[in-house]
Parts: sequence; structure tokens; C-alpha cells
Amino acid sequence: MIAEKKYILATTVQEAIEQAVANKENFKYLAGGTDVMVNKFQGNETSGCLIDITKITELKGIAKQGDFLRIGALEILEELKFNSIIKDEFSMLIEAALSVGSPLIRKTATIGGNVLCENRCLFYNQSEWWRESIGYCLKCDGDICIATGGKNACFSELVSDTAPALIAMDAEIEYVDEKGTHRQKLEKIYTGDGVKPRNIPKNAIVTSLFLPLNRGFKTAFFKLRERESLEFTSLTSAVTVDKKCKLKIALSGVDPKPVVIEGKIEDDKDLLIKKAIKASRAVDNDMYSRKYRREMISVYLQKSFSILNPPK
Amino acid sequence: MQIIKLIVNGKEHNVIVEPHETLAHVLREKINLTGTKLGCEQASCGACTVFVDGKVVQSCITPALRVAGSVITTIEGIADQNKLHKLQEKFVEKGAIQCGYCTPGMIMTSLDFLEENPSPTTDEIKEALSGNLCRCTGYVKIIEAVESYVKEENHLHPPLGHHPKHDDTKFKMVGQGRPYIEATKKVQGTADYADDIKIKNALVCKFLRSTHAHAKINNIDVSKAQAVPGVRAVMTGKELPITFGVLPISQDETAMAIEKTRYIGEIVAAVAADTEEIAQYACSLIKVDYTPIRPFFDMQECCEDIGTDEKIHQYGKFNNNIHKKAELRFGDQQEGLAAADHRLKVDFDFQGINHGFTEPHAATAWWDENGLTIITATQVPHYLHRFLAKVMEVPMNRVRVIKPYVGGGFGGKSDPFPHEMIVAHLSRILGQPVKVRFTREEVFLSNHGRHPTKLTIDMGVSNEGIIQALDADVIIDGGAYGSFGVVTTYYNGVLLQAPYKLDNFGFRTRRVYTNKPQCGAMRGHGAVNSRYAVETMIDRFAEKLNMDPCELRFKNFLDENTLTVGQYRVTSNGSTESLKKVMELSEWKNKYKKLPKGHGIGVACGFFISGSALPIHWNEYPQSVVHLKVDLDGRVLVTSGASDIGQGSDTMLAIIVAEVLGLSLDNIFVVAADTTLTPIDLGSYSSRVTFMAGNAAKMAAEKLREQILEAVAKLHQVDKSELHFENEKVFTNDRKVDLTWVEAVENATRKVGALNSTGAYNSPKLGGDFKGAGAGLSPSYSFGAVITEVKVDLESGHVKVIDIWGAHDAGKAINPLAVEGQLEGSWHMGMGQALSEQMKYHNGLLVNSNLVDYKIPTSKDTPPIHTNIIETIDPEGPFGAKECGEGAIHPVIPAIANAVFDAVGVRLTSLPINSEEVLKAMKSMKQFENLKM
Repeated sequence: MIAEKKYILATTVQEAIEQAVANKENFKYLAGGTDVMVNKFQGNETSGCLIDITKITELKGIAKQGDFLRIGALEILEELKFNSIIKDEFSMLIEAALSVGSPLIRKTATIGGNVLCENRCLFYNQSEWWRESIGYCLKCDGDICIATGGKNACFSELVSDTAPALIAMDAEIEYVDEKGTHRQKLEKIYTGDGVKPRNIPKNAIVTSLFLPLNRGFKTAFFKLRERESLEFTSLTSAVTVDKKCKLKIALSGVDPKPVVIEGKIEDDKDLLIKKAIKASRAVDNDMYSRKYRREMISVYLQKSFSILNPPK
Repeated sequence: MQIIKLIVNGKEHNVIVEPHETLAHVLREKINLTGTKLGCEQASCGACTVFVDGKVVQSCITPALRVAGSVITTIEGIADQNKLHKLQEKFVEKGAIQCGYCTPGMIMTSLDFLEENPSPTTDEIKEALSGNLCRCTGYVKIIEAVESYVKEENHLHPPLGHHPKHDDTKFKMVGQGRPYIEATKKVQGTADYADDIKIKNALVCKFLRSTHAHAKINNIDVSKAQAVPGVRAVMTGKELPITFGVLPISQDETAMAIEKTRYIGEIVAAVAADTEEIAQYACSLIKVDYTPIRPFFDMQECCEDIGTDEKIHQYGKFNNNIHKKAELRFGDQQEGLAAADHRLKVDFDFQGINHGFTEPHAATAWWDENGLTIITATQVPHYLHRFLAKVMEVPMNRVRVIKPYVGGGFGGKSDPFPHEMIVAHLSRILGQPVKVRFTREEVFLSNHGRHPTKLTIDMGVSNEGIIQALDADVIIDGGAYGSFGVVTTYYNGVLLQAPYKLDNFGFRTRRVYTNKPQCGAMRGHGAVNSRYAVETMIDRFAEKLNMDPCELRFKNFLDENTLTVGQYRVTSNGSTESLKKVMELSEWKNKYKKLPKGHGIGVACGFFISGSALPIHWNEYPQSVVHLKVDLDGRVLVTSGASDIGQGSDTMLAIIVAEVLGLSLDNIFVVAADTTLTPIDLGSYSSRVTFMAGNAAKMAAEKLREQILEAVAKLHQVDKSELHFENEKVFTNDRKVDLTWVEAVENATRKVGALNSTGAYNSPKLGGDFKGAGAGLSPSYSFGAVITEVKVDLESGHVKVIDIWGAHDAGKAINPLAVEGQLEGSWHMGMGQALSEQMKYHNGLLVNSNLVDYKIPTSKDTPPIHTNIIETIDPEGPFGAKECGEGAIHPVIPAIANAVFDAVGVRLTSLPINSEEVLKAMKSMKQFENLKM
């Protein structure tokens, strides 16, 4: 009848990975749990085994490492504001972290968990019974996307608020699996496929995020939501200009993956906005319409540009 | 399965824990600390907040095995033995506790953040509490409590004692703001709500719900479910075929779908099992064979002939899905409109709204030698009592309904519910108690919320601003069943006949069945949407006439002691005073039309009934009865069927009895809402309890007083008129008689024993002699006004309410602290409907059945609310009191819309006025303006 479940508290990365291998795909790593536990309650996360990684000290800590600031994946969102380097060089990350959920959520949620949080869709983040009623969608083993009325692709949104902030500041992500340690640009882990939104191997554990030091980022951050708290994003916009005038836009909430546009501060702004809107595959799967969210991309980017490039 | 050690509130527990069990579950079910509440189980309400090793967590998403060996503090561990923590004291003192369900979480969150930031600003407090939802208080008094605590801790002078007090030497008890009598229990997490009560050996019930909006049930195969070890019974609808419904004229619902399902989410089978998990699993094994029938979702379509398709309900002679039609006409609307200098006809469209109370429904039922007992979160024990008897086919004397503490209702717990029938039935066949608790999704599916509404108002005014005619055409979407819908149908029309004078007034309203969860009564019942329409149209007329909208309203207000066009008897009327008050406080004259673009101010008014003069069940029984008993110990036992659901009615009864008898509350003991122990009260709906149960309590106390007077006067040979009841004494001015209360009671009980008295409230005969005259009749009406100030983001359309000034004529505030709480909660709830809340459907399936996507405003979204109680002393209310729990929601929604117009020049004819809608309206206005140029 009801399958026996497992809960494993790992104390080292190696142990966690060994457990992952032993439990062959039927497991889920668990950090803060603000995403996984809710998905579990809804029946969207059905792994028989939870591997709790919160006691792994290697995954904690914020310190300089070469030209980068390393932030351990288990660092708590609400606590990033206490770090002086983040405050001085990457304050947009604090803005982004403090826009997540509610204060209660942020006191449990981790930065690693936030960049990895499961994509959302009004037609997916529902109970098992609900999804059965509407006819299961692509993301839960159905045949079509319900939100779009039948497309053969999943458009569940990336709803991380910290991911766009990190990406706009050229963050890199490090993860470890049984084959070793891997490091790449954060945006590279997102596939754009809502069903399997990240390409990190299932057994891999994200250990840290790296932010490049001394880039002199000027930043602009906005999050679209109806209430001022307790909200997933409907559009998060993070824009940076570094001291070499490199401009980078990263959006979440409007596509299964972050929308990333790079350029120079002197580029044609209207063109950049057009590019960003074009790259966003927002669909009507949010309490706000697709149309409104696309309109707001333009609003937020214009506001960002005027903050970052004040008219002389 | 694993045994873990937890140190909870200093005590060591070794508990057996399942691998994926949450800390909340362990605390509540295994350690029996039920102060930790479950409101959503998805980390979106904060009610389950506890400390783990000093860190704050939401226990509903915390795996129990993670915290093995940890030190845990729950709300029960906050007080130092019986000494409340100072923050708890502040919550009690400031009236920050209404239903009390969010209170434990609020206290835990506050304590955590005050540790980090001991001297926060108001904005920082709002930010810190913004993951804890409250539906009762509008956060006003919660924030006040935290602020006041902070000031005292920082040795700053606390603001002068806040407890509102109205200068009245006449009364000792009435009119003084005081905490609820049970506030201390609630703030410690020891007040038991329905899901907190553990009846020994109880089985757990779960439901299988329909996945079809409208479908014939061909077969239900329960064999696999029945075979699951631990399953005790699987039940389908055929076992409970008797219909029920809160109104005698709408007995259209059964405990489960039998022949067909009428909405997605309707219960089609139930399982009682040893554990919730087993019951849930067994439900998933039940196979239902459906044949879909054409579903109906559109309310306009439901008014029309449906051809060869199947109706949602068979009865009714017409081939459509109309449930109820109502039409009343007074004067001549067409003539009035034709004669008006200005005429406007506007269409409106409103979404459904859910009550959003923090405590999900829960109930436990069992049978013994006394028949059925059910403990359930209900606003209406008496109606549930009647319909349990009907559906169980037993006389009423075999049914006992007990209401424990209830975590808010707002109308959403005022029907007899299917789940109550089902657990009653299952516990009977199993001979074992059966318990059920809803998930938040089930709360939304059960609904009974505000009806989605489409309406058209045709209105005319003269050049002088006098309303000449008002004609309303309304359709409301009732969903699958009747509930209070017939009343709602009328209220959408009749409750437009005040607060303004109307000679030519008419309406047609229709309620339709659709294949959606049913709608029913919600705070401000039936008149919220139509009030929005009229108040925003008055604003349009003011604009046209270039007249101050307050001025226009003053010109049209009804007088006091008058009749409306539909023959409502208006007694006291504080409309003018209310509007004057908010104008003055908001500095209306300096702001209206004078604020910069994007910044606006708006006004609206409203009124509401203080209970319905006609009961739902037409009989001669009083609408409320209160019993008193006093014995040698001197404590007065007050028994009343009135349901305190967080609005403070138990305290209200105590105050009234204490006032009459010259006692303090220490000598009063209230037992309420237990149908075997307490006399009938019709329930907590239509804002009736203070007026009706309050009057009954007053009468009972006066009778008891009379008995004591008689006895003492006779014994001491003084004239009755010389005796006074004050300060727990009975005395004459010359002190010839000078008895303590207990002595007086002793005198009066000699040879006769304990004293008893009964008070009853019967509404006077009211109303006209025409069909439909009874709808909206009330012994008294409340009146009020609201002004709001908003800022609108011109780029995103986002509306931020920055101030609410409200005034409400509550007749006389028996407990001003509680009255303020009701008003603040109403204004806050109205703000939610105005800006962010809506029930969104996709082919009949509710899309946002959770507290993230159903957007109840958080503390951070809540502006300063400036509360004013206007006292007009109603001639028939107890000590002059009338309603305050519902009417205040009416004006706030249109006041926000009118402020948005003042800010950005757009009129929204649908709700919510969320960012997207405002931006859309601003853009289309721009296009229109460009077109003109």
C-alpha cells in the first residue's frame, strides 16, 4: 500500500551524493524546504526519499575566493544583508533576496534553493486532484500544455528572484556530483524547457555561487507583484552596468528560463527592450496576463535605464 | 518510522515520527500542543510559526526528522508559567486578538524579529509581520500591540491608555473598551478550535471530490479503497439522500453528489480510516465512472432557455438555470429618469470573493446514549442542529451541536455543510467518533462566498444633485446550490433604498445556478457589489455637476426616524455625522481635486441591517433567548446560543449582564453555542447578535435584578426604588441596606434556591404589505462613511492605499475596543476585494485556491486606518447599540475606486482594481483622449 518513505540527514556532500546514487532518481535534496515541502504537500514532488543537506557545513559561508565572492548554497536569504561585501559590491542581491516570499519564508529559504526553485504555473502548482480534474499537463506527465490550450511545450515560469540578480552580476554556479566539481555561468544551467528547467545532473549538489569582485556594478532591480509581500514574482527585472560599461539584463517570471540580454550602455535602449520582450515566452499562466507582464518588461527596463544612465 | 527526541517548551519528548512528517503534525498530533495552528499547510499564512533552536520556522514545512534533538518553543512556551509575556499582555490589552487563530503565529514572529530589531519603526513591524495573514483585525491592533510593547521595553512613554472610552457616567461597564474574556487563553495558544479537540479513538475522514463540473455518475467502484488496511468505511451519496440547505425554500443540496455532480470539487465519496494518510490513499483508489453533461459557467447564458441540454437542477417550470427572480418597484423609475437633468446607465462586473477566514473547517462527530454530538466550526449551531436532525432522520432532541472557538467566519461557516452531515453519518454507522479537517483548497471549493455579479444601474439626478430615480438590474452567480442565495438575490436590490432618499426606486435581480462551487453569505451580504456601483456613480454625477461628492451625499441622506421608499423603518441615523467626521479628519476640502496626478482621495457611504427582522424559519420563536442562573457563589451563568466566531459576542453578553447587575466580569460566566446547554439563538450572520442576543441578555439580567430587588426589599423592608446595584453591591443610599453581591444573592435564594431568568428578543412588526416587503427589514440600520487616499503608480497601474478614514454609526459601542476591531477588519477586507482578491476559474475549476494566489492584503499592504465610532443611541438597541460587523465593508470599496479616479481619472467598473486593470484603463483613456485631439 502506502510506500515506505525515507528521510536521510547527510552531513557531508560526499555522503549526500552517495545516498543520491543509492536511491537512484527516487530522491530529492532538501535544503530550506520552502519550495520542496510545498510541492510535496501538493503532490508535485513525489520522491520517496528526502536527502536533507542543511547540516552540511561545506555548503555554508561567505568569503572571498580569488577574484570572486563565494556564497555557500545554504546561506539563508534573510541573512545575506548582514554581509558587508555583499552590501558594498552586490547590494542588488540583497534587494532580490528581500523581495522573495515573506520574511518567514526568507528565514528558512536558501540562496541555492532559490536559484533552483521549481518553475511555476497556475495550472501546475495545484493538488493532485486538481491536476487530474483539468487533465494533467506536460509538466506532470500529461500530453499538452493546458495554459496555452494545447502547445507541445511547457512554459512554466522561472520564479527565482535571486537568479536574475545573480545573473545580471555575472554569477557562476558550482556543483558537485559523483564525477567531480563543475562550475559555469549561472544562466547556463537553465534549459528553457519548463518540464526539466535545469540541466544539472540529478545527483549533483549545488555548493556555491560566485560573484565577480571589483566590477563596480550599478544596478536596478524591480519585481512585479500585486501585494508587497507573500508573492511569487510575475516579472523580476535585474539590470546592471559595470565599470567597463557592459550592460546586462536578466529577467525571470516571463519564461521557463531567465531571459538574458547583454550589451553596452550606449546601445539603443529600445532595441534592447524589444529583444528582451521577444525573448520572453510568457504565457497566460499567472494571475497577471501575458500581455501585462510583457508590457511591464518595457516599463521596468526603461526605468532601469534611466536609473543606470541618467541623462547628462 | 523513527523515534526522535524533542525538547519542547523545556519538556523532553520521545516521539515516533514518520519519515516525511512535518513538525506541525508532530506538535499537534503527537505532543498535543495545538496552539501551533494550520491555516494553509503551504507556508503562506504563518499560523504554524514556532522556534527551533531559537530560529523561527513555519512548522508546516519543517520535516520533523530535521529537528531531531532540537529545542523547540511553541506558543504554549512563551508565558512564564501563568505569567504572560509582556508582548502577550499587549496583544490582550490592545484588542489585537479577535478570532485568535493567527495570534500564536503573530506572537512567535513578532518575538523573533524583536530579538533582531528591538526598536523597530512601524514600517519595519509591518514588514516583519507580512508573512502572517490575519483576516479579522486589519493588522491595526496587532501593530499597535507590538509598538506599545516596544515603547515600554525601551522605556519610552507609552501612548496614553488607548482603550477607547466614551464619556458616559451613566454606565459602569458598557462603553469601556476591554479585551475579550477569552483573550488570555487565545494568546497562549490554549483556546481549542475544532481541529484542536481530540476525541478518543476518533477515525479520520477524507473526501473524494468530483473532477467534473456537470456529469452523471454511472458507477462508483469503492472495492479497492475498502480493501486498504485501516479503512473502516467507504461511503457514497446514496447513503444520505435527504436534502438540506440553510433556507427552507432552498433544500437543494445533499451531503454528496448522488445521481450527478454539479461542480468540480463536489464530494462524491468519503473514507473513514485510522489515519488521515490511509483515508487519503484510499480515496485515490476509488474509481468513478462519469458521463459528462454540458456544464454552465456563464451567468448571462444561465438566464436563457437551454434547449435540449440538461438543467443544473430539475425543479422550476422554465427551461433555464435561474434559481430565483426578484423584482420590486416603488414610484416610477422611468418617469424619474426622464425627468432627471442628468442620467447615467453603467454596467458592472464583479468576481467572486472568498471569506478567507484563517481557520479551515473542521468537525468531529460521535454517537452515544444521547444521540449525536458534533463539535464543529460553525456560525449557526441552531440551523446545523435542525438539518442534522433532518438528514440523520432523528428528532432534534437526539442532536447536540457544540461550537468551540472558531477561527473567523465572515459568513463562510453559516450554512449546514456536507462534511458535517458525512462525519455524523459515518460515526453513526461505525460506532466510533469521526473527525474531518479541510485543507485550504477544500475551504475554497466549499466556498459559499460573495456571488460573482453582473449589474446595470440606471440613475438620474437633478441639477441640484437630488437623486431622481434608481433602477438596478442584477444577475448573481450562485454556483451549484442555493445556500442563502434567495436572500442574496433580494439584498442586491433592496439594500439600495438607503442611505439616500429615493422616490422612484426599482430593481430586478436574478440568481442563477452555474456549475461552480456555491456562493452564499459573506460580510456585507448581498449589497457590497451593488453599493459599489451606486457609490461610484454618485461620484460620476458629482463630477458632471461639478459638485463636491460629499455635498451631493449630504443633500440626499435620509433623515432619522423616517421610512424609506420600501418602508424600512429608519430610527437613529448617523450618516451625516459619519461623513462630516471623515471629511474633517482627512482634510477632504484641502485634498479633493487638489492632489497631484497619481495621488487621489475618494469618498463613499453605506448602511446595513442590524439583523433581519424576519427569521429564516417562519415561526413565533424569539430570534434570541438568553438564560441566566445565579447561585450561592454569586457567579452569574449566562447561557446563549449566540456564536462567538471572533467578533466578541461572548464578551458583549457578559458586559451587558454585568452592567445591569452592577457586577464586574469576574462574576459572569458565559456558556454559549451548545445546542443542548444553551437556548436558541439563530446564529452569527446578518450582523444580528449584539442587537438581538444583546437585548435578550439585557432583558434576562433585568428580570434577575428584579427577583433580587423583590427579595432584598422585602427582607430588609425598604422600597425597591431605593436599592442600587453597583460595584458588586446592593445598597440603599443611606446604607440601611449595604449588601455585597453574594449576600444579596443569598438573601434572594432563601427557600427558593438558585435564581433563573430568561430574556428573549422578538423583532417588532415592521414593513409594508407587499410581496418581498420582508427582505432587508431590520429593527435598526447602521450607517457609515469612508474616505481613502491612494497613490497610483502611473507606469504599472499599481494602487497603494495610503490612508483610510472611516466612521461608522454603531448606535452605542458596548465594547468600543471590539467595535473598532470589527470596523478595521471590515475596511481591510474591503480593501482586499477592491484591489487584489478574486476567485479565478478555468472551465469551472477554481485556479487560485491557495493563500498565495488568492491575495488577502498583508500587513505591508495595509495603510494607517483611522477609526471613528459614531454613537447615535438607537432607541431599541441594547443600551442604544446596533451593528458594526458588516456594514463598514460597504463604503470602503467604492471609496478606493473614487480615489483612483481622483488620482488618475479612470473609472473601473469591475473588481479587483489591480495594477493590470488600472493600467489598461489608463491606456484606453489616453487613446480616447488622443482620438479627441
